[in-house]
Amino acid sequence: MPIVQLNHVRKVYDTKVAVEDLSFTIEPGTMFGLLGPNGSGKTSTIRMMIGITVPDSGSVSLFDKPFVRKMLARVGYLPEERGLYKKMKVLDQLVFLGQLHGLTASEANQRSRFWCEKLEITEAISKKTEDLSKGMQQKIQFIATLLHDPELIIMDEPFSGLDPINANLLMDALADLRREGKAVLFSTHRMDQVEKLCDNIALIHRGHLILSGSMTEIKSSYPRNRVHIHFEGDDSFLQDPSIESLKRYSGYAEIKLRPSPTLADDAQSLLAHAIRVARISRFEVTEPTLEDIFIEKVREALPIANGGELSMAQLDQPKESDLDD
Amino acid sequence: MIRVWLIARREYLERIRTRGFIITTVMIPLIMAGFIFGSIFLSSKASFVTEIAIVSSDTQLALDLKSELQQGQGGSLTQPSLDPRKPTIIVDAMAVAPDTKAILDQEIDSDDLDGYLWITPAATPGARPTFTFTPRSSTGETSIKDTLAAALSTVLLREQLAHRGIVAADANTMLQPVEIVAAKGSTHEDRESAEVSVGVLFFLMYLVIMLYGMNVARSVIEEKTSRIFEVMLATVRPEAMMAGKILGVGSVGLSQVGIWLAVALLLSGRSLVLHLGGDDIHLALTAPQIIFFFVYFILGYLFYSSIAAAFGAMTNSEHELQQLNMFLVMPLIFCFLTLGTVLLTPDSTLSRVLALIPPFTPLLMYLRVSLGHPAPWEIALSILLTSASIYGIVWVTSRIYRIGVLMYGKRPNLPEILRWLKYS
Repeated sequence: MPIVQLNHVRKVYDTKVAVEDLSFTIEPGTMFGLLGPNGSGKTSTIRMMIGITVPDSGSVSLFDKPFVRKMLARVGYLPEERGLYKKMKVLDQLVFLGQLHGLTASEANQRSRFWCEKLEITEAISKKTEDLSKGMQQKIQFIATLLHDPELIIMDEPFSGLDPINANLLMDALADLRREGKAVLFSTHRMDQVEKLCDNIALIHRGHLILSGSMTEIKSSYPRNRVHIHFEGDDSFLQDPSIESLKRYSGYAEIKLRPSPTLADDAQSLLAHAIRVARISRFEVTEPTLEDIFIEKVREALPIANGGELSMAQLDQPKESDLDD
Repeated sequence: MIRVWLIARREYLERIRTRGFIITTVMIPLIMAGFIFGSIFLSSKASFVTEIAIVSSDTQLALDLKSELQQGQGGSLTQPSLDPRKPTIIVDAMAVAPDTKAILDQEIDSDDLDGYLWITPAATPGARPTFTFTPRSSTGETSIKDTLAAALSTVLLREQLAHRGIVAADANTMLQPVEIVAAKGSTHEDRESAEVSVGVLFFLMYLVIMLYGMNVARSVIEEKTSRIFEVMLATVRPEAMMAGKILGVGSVGLSQVGIWLAVALLLSGRSLVLHLGGDDIHLALTAPQIIFFFVYFILGYLFYSSIAAAFGAMTNSEHELQQLNMFLVMPLIFCFLTLGTVLLTPDSTLSRVLALIPPFTPLLMYLRVSLGHPAPWEIALSILLTSASIYGIVWVTSRIYRIGVLMYGKRPNLPEILRWLKYS
């Protein structure tokens, strides 16, 4: 029984097409990544899934039935823009939000305390929300989403602004929920996070679905044509004819090999070439990252008129890859 | 329904606990009391003691006029009346001397005298003498002149009557002003008390509707900027949110007014009698006046706060809201401007028509119900019309609200808002 099923959904705001012919399903016990740059239609899609807006055509089913508002009691939604009542005490706030989701006051109280303990913020319980740090507020919001034990958990950029320790804490909590059979939908433009977490993904760009499927299948359908190399010394091996394009950093390069039937051998000979001139501390042959796949897909999908060089800036992507190792 | 209740309760509890609520609950009556007592105090301080001199070669005329002016005051000279409308006049009658005019002018210049009346005897016997009044300044000139003119005509009339052989006592009886005693209805004092009490409630209603209407708009904007809507709309319909908010904020307003009224009624025994203009003005409210106050207050609040909610949903900041607030405040201010008319002539055609126009009904019909005699059908019609327009407004604003709360960035223009109404 799929938890979410979108069938050819379309949504137009005035003149702007927000979502066009979008279909995907989310199964219980899986993590689903809804990916795309800002403004690609992620939030519009989510809003239709939880009945804030209604699709112009197509259908949305939750829990194997056409959407009705009553189902919202089984859905937890963490919006991208965090929203809490600043002046309210944390516990009052959680109890209020829990009650709105149909819990009794005492249930909500009990579960709030349980979750605050689990996420290590018991000291915040009696404080006013505005007195908390941003990361703590985010945890409160996270708890508010899960208080009523939803079967479908929708998280829009859940880790933005969290330090790695807290982000891991939340990721572990989400992994537990998946193990319990809940479906988790992740919406993000941080492809690197999704790569580690998600079972299935849907890539959308300008409202169109450009790629979907299971993470492993998608990855394995791409040739292992990427080489990551850490080196010291002469970099003349980067002129090797097997290289199609590369990104250079200091002491590190990301290489895309030319398409060829003997890709694995090409990589080996590239390594041999590099060893002759430089000292190699790390050499890795791998599939393209999700980010690479995404850029490639978007380029394919773009009409010729819009063609030309597609930069990261155009896709409105954070350039965090520049900072990695 | 239970969610509307939850939202309203949260709104109510969060607001009523704030320091702002306690401060306004205490401060607004204090400020109003300050205004009332302040104006009484000022008017009594600015004791209208007017000192004038009467200059006449006919000493008898001057003395008659003096006694008439002083008797006309109906009180002793030593105790100035508190009523600003009846200035105490201290009169000094004097005969003409060559330098009189110069002396008097000098006294006026040095503020010792407020004016003098110069009586020039008539050139021909039997004709009237000429009266010239020289005031110190233009202030209060007309009222003194009127007083003088009235006193003079009485004096002259009495003189004429005496000439024709009528005894002074008879003349006095004849000159006694006619007094009409109201056979039915309220006395002057009761009426005045009612006017002041109702006026105070009118002002309260005006203030609280405006205050809490704006509160609704402001809190919508606050929830918009803090993005709480995103969270809330995942479980609650926007209509329920709007209803909960309006009811919650409104209950705070009702509680506040309730506290004020309860305290006022507790204090208003014989102990709290304001000495206003020598008349006993007390908080004189009848049960229907209080009931209708709440009925019209609720109607007015619903009318204006629903509009305010839509304004909040349409804008992104308080600054933008202020530009729209004009539309909210204008009708209320208009009611305030017509207060005098409706207060004095609550049953005139103008008052009757104005009180039936929905934006004005809550304030003006309340005045009519309290002070005039509207027909029962008029009351029913006013409630019906206002309720119907509230229904219409809520229909429109909930649509604007539903879409507006998810719109950030630029403020929508009118065609866009009209298009929102068509979305289902």
